[in-house]
Amino acid sequence: MAIVVGINFAIALRLLGWIPQFTLAPFYRFYQLHWFGALFVLLSGIGLLLAYPAKALTNPVFYLKFVALSIGLLIAAWLQKKIRNNSLENFSQQRLKLIAAVSIALWIIAITGGRFLAYTHSVLLASRFF
Amino acid sequence: MLELLTNLAQATGIYSFMNSPWGWPTAESIHFLGLCLLIGTVGVFDLRMLGVGQGISYDDLHKLVKFGVGGYLLNVTTGTMFLTSAPDQYIYNPAFQTKMLFMLVAGLNMLWFYATTSNQVKTTDATLAVSDRAKLIAAVSLISWSVIIVCGRLITYFRPPYHWCFWC
Repeated sequence: MAIVVGINFAIALRLLGWIPQFTLAPFYRFYQLHWFGALFVLLSGIGLLLAYPAKALTNPVFYLKFVALSIGLLIAAWLQKKIRNNSLENFSQQRLKLIAAVSIALWIIAITGGRFLAYTHSVLLASRFF
Repeated sequence: MLELLTNLAQATGIYSFMNSPWGWPTAESIHFLGLCLLIGTVGVFDLRMLGVGQGISYDDLHKLVKFGVGGYLLNVTTGTMFLTSAPDQYIYNPAFQTKMLFMLVAGLNMLWFYATTSNQVKTTDATLAVSDRAKLIAAVSLISWSVIIVCGRLITYFRPPYHWCFWC
């Protein structure tokens, strides 16, 4: 998760103009590592879900985290494509900054949601329903 | 030691905050965000020194590190809040002790980098590889931070008094 969020943070900080001299074009190589990290997030997430399905599926925070994570990854895939094609220049700075800010907000929601999952569940085991 | 940390938490209001319904998970979320900032900046710079992302200027990428320092400060602040709120769960915890050991290694490694190698790395052309010493420092840094993350997660599962460490 730290690899996925960290790399997205780094790119978002550049798009926000906080590190103006930083060239984005060669950065798409880090996306390979990013997707490798995302695969780990997916596999470990499935493992946790299978271990305690009722705990996650009965908690609205789980869906909030899932949606934030999914949209965050979609934005990452979109940015990766644009960086690889060198087509980010076609977008206004204002729009890119908005995308970067949304990306940061989504990752903060995903992480915060993930931590709060452990403290907000009302059901632990599916056996409660049987 | 335990008494000192507990008194510090109670005198500063940390104990009350951490024992409020949202205190602990809020501090954990900030701790994780700090960690992500650290890995996304220092970790990415380490990977660059190890040869990933050839063509990205070392000097430009190093500008990210200041955000990593910000993340580290978030981690130290929230980490202190955890430690002072439940010192007995940390001081005697082998996962916490290992985490602290590797934080020391990461810190000394960083001092070694800035004392001997940083200027050389920052002036290296983006198409060239850095020195073997810089690669060694980057590898030690990445390994240290990986161990720190893993041990951070393990703290929850090695809580005293169920899992006393063999050297305590």
